[in-house]
Amino acid sequence: MDVLLQALLNGILIGGILICLTVGFQLTFGVLHVIDFAVGGWVMLGGYAAYWASRLLGVDPFISVFFVFVLFAGVGCALGPLIYHVRTSRYARPDLMALAFTFGIFIMMRGGALWLWSFDSRSVDSVLSGASLSIGPVTVPLLRLSAFGMALLLGLGLFVLLYRTRFGMAVRAVAQNRDHAGLMGVDVKRVSAYVYGIYTGITASAGVLLATIYSVNPEVGVRYTLFAFFVAVLAGLGSVGGVLVAGLVLGLVESLVGTYVGTRYSLLVVFATLYLVLLISPKGILQRGI
Amino acid sequence: MYAGADSQTVRHSPLVLEGLVKHFGGVTAVAGVDLEVESCEVVGVIGPNGSGKSTLFNLISGMLPMDEGRVWLVGKEVTGRSAWRIARAGLARTFQIPSLFDNISVRDNLLAAAVEGDWKGAPRRAGEVLEMLEISHVADNLASELSGGQQKLLEFGRVCMRDPSVILLDEATAGVHPNIRRIMLEAIRRVREAGATFLVIEHDMEMVREICDRIIVMDAGQVVAKGSFDEIADNVEVQRAYLGRQR
Amino acid sequence: MVSKLSRPQLASLLALFAGMVVLAVLPAYIDPYSLRIVTGVLMWAGLACAWNIVGGYAGYISFGHSAFFGIGAYVTGILMQRDLGIPFLATLPLGILVAVGVAAAIGGPTMRLRGAYFAIATWAFAEMLMQMAIVLDITGGTAGLSLPAYLNEFFFYYTMLIVALGVYLGTWYLLERTRFGYRLKALRDHEPAAEAMGIHTTRVKVQAFALSAGITSLFGSIYAYWVTFIDPRSVMGPEITDQMVVMVLLGGLGTVWGPALGATVLWLINRYIWSELGDTAIYLPILGLIIALIVLFLPNGLISLLPGGRRGHGLLGRLLRKL
Repeated sequence: MDVLLQALLNGILIGGILICLTVGFQLTFGVLHVIDFAVGGWVMLGGYAAYWASRLLGVDPFISVFFVFVLFAGVGCALGPLIYHVRTSRYARPDLMALAFTFGIFIMMRGGALWLWSFDSRSVDSVLSGASLSIGPVTVPLLRLSAFGMALLLGLGLFVLLYRTRFGMAVRAVAQNRDHAGLMGVDVKRVSAYVYGIYTGITASAGVLLATIYSVNPEVGVRYTLFAFFVAVLAGLGSVGGVLVAGLVLGLVESLVGTYVGTRYSLLVVFATLYLVLLISPKGILQRGI
Repeated sequence: MYAGADSQTVRHSPLVLEGLVKHFGGVTAVAGVDLEVESCEVVGVIGPNGSGKSTLFNLISGMLPMDEGRVWLVGKEVTGRSAWRIARAGLARTFQIPSLFDNISVRDNLLAAAVEGDWKGAPRRAGEVLEMLEISHVADNLASELSGGQQKLLEFGRVCMRDPSVILLDEATAGVHPNIRRIMLEAIRRVREAGATFLVIEHDMEMVREICDRIIVMDAGQVVAKGSFDEIADNVEVQRAYLGRQR
Repeated sequence: MVSKLSRPQLASLLALFAGMVVLAVLPAYIDPYSLRIVTGVLMWAGLACAWNIVGGYAGYISFGHSAFFGIGAYVTGILMQRDLGIPFLATLPLGILVAVGVAAAIGGPTMRLRGAYFAIATWAFAEMLMQMAIVLDITGGTAGLSLPAYLNEFFFYYTMLIVALGVYLGTWYLLERTRFGYRLKALRDHEPAAEAMGIHTTRVKVQAFALSAGITSLFGSIYAYWVTFIDPRSVMGPEITDQMVVMVLLGGLGTVWGPALGATVLWLINRYIWSELGDTAIYLPILGLIIALIVLFLPNGLISLLPGGRRGHGLLGRLLRKL
């Protein structure tokens, strides 16, 4: 029973970060109509950024996470127009070309990390590492709790931005109908670039949090791309709300499989579930619009 | 196959619709349409936007599953069959928005339409169709390079390649140059003489007058009037459908 | 028709013939190391061609072809273990059979998914299979599997040559000359319209997927015997699919000869980096950069730079067509 409680708690805490990892991805799909294969790459690079900030400058990841956000948001804003260009081009299949483009970026990130930093796993230390709270039978690592809280903060910030600001209104208008929003005077290209920037910023920040909990190496990107796909597919592509449930589901599945079946099976189970979900309900189980 | 009471309902007309119904969520797009199209007849379907004409076509051709009703095609019931089976049973259609195979040539578009039919004779027939539609000079261009009118012609050409019994045309001449309209009309006349039956959605009343033997008027998913062009032109229901509801 | 060859047709026919002769006698003139490189080019050309059947002709981008490569490699690897001792050539049809069976089984439901969903599903499937290869005993897990060594570079060169040539001529004929090719291109360009022509699109898609999987598996089998050692990452890793995708995009999506061109260029770059820098990791970012640049600047691939390539059949393809 205690083991179960502990597994459930861990699942929820990780699920919170997975939610944070996927909301931006969903927003990008809703606005740009692009499936970003590089999502795990942003997570990985965010982790490395935190690692180097801590190693070279001695900055705690819970502080560097804000700088990582700004840095990667800038990179994303620069890259956004390129993706927009490919997606709206007159190619025979712009959707697939955009997919191939982000696929290329992902390979670049993963390969670049391998080349520069080799296969080694690197852990990012924080002042919170090792400390924990005991509540009855379960232990709550402070690190995971804080990371969970930080993830919620980021997610909440995004919701406020989307639903309480003028910019958010423009974003939602573009997500509803790109052409009509354009006719209303929304600068669709610029909005798309900003959205891409917000997405890369949030995703890289989630990467910082994940790197403090686990560790980071060049191969983690593949795993997190999968996780983002899993959550997104479960929620329905482009749905931001469904992510809340789907992220928790994935966190719990991974934690329970890891606890009761063995961690070496957790990826197998996650991939198999993703494949089955796609076959059974290609439009997502919790489908709802942005 | 249709034993008992059903055997009496086997229909021999090329196209018979019985009580077709289609709902989209709470909206009823097609609300019980009955229709029998005789051999070599051209029946026009008119009605305001959103009256269910295109949905009706999608139900007949199997592109959408119907909620209720039955469809017979040349004496065979095709209710609930998938689109490709219905096509093989002798139905051909065009789409409101030209739906060509964009990345292959005009000639290859015609050949692709014959893959499930007379493949050996396809190249010769493609040549004839190109000739008839006066698009031989662009035969080796990509379909996406054609003008809007030529695309409509090519789409009709694909229908001709299949030698179907029943043809559904969805706004075959909407917005095309008069010259292309003339070619299209001539082609329709020839295909009809060869024994095909037509159901056409058309907004252009001149067109309707020229090619249709009979007209049905749809409004809110129902057939509100049937008859010849002159009968329809005087019909109160039709005017109401087009001019809005009067008290 | 052959009697009325125009001059450029004749020239290209001669060039093609000369190319075949060069390929046939090549092993006698080059050193073993170079021979291995050319063998690799042939293998990748064949793999790219297989991917192109689904990606280029059917319009379904698969990110999971490494699964079928791995199936071929593992079927051959497992069957050739000492206790079973099945001869190499006998394992080839079995590998193809398994891959085609798997492709046909998953093809139906998977190919209902369009665009990105299909890409994600195939990717998940391939990763799932790789994870299975890692946890199963029969595959040797992460420790891998050793095959009986047969160190005859000539054998592998000629095997790859024959198979690759067969694959190219076969797919060229099938996709450019038969109804099957028209069915595929029709459903790629407009699936509902293809159905309205009476094309059973689901069946055609699954056929194409199974064909592509079978070819991929065949190369996987030969590769396993060639390198004599396989593990989940080397035969099922995402790099296999990555390279297939890049080669086809680089050469020209949906063209007959584009994949061969892309495979040649990319594999030579790969080997050059490997030999000059001794560091394979730099190859990956270059691979990624090539994809991004092609999508941005050369969406129709290298083949569109050749005269007559605009129609998507390429110079050679166009000339071969006229025969």
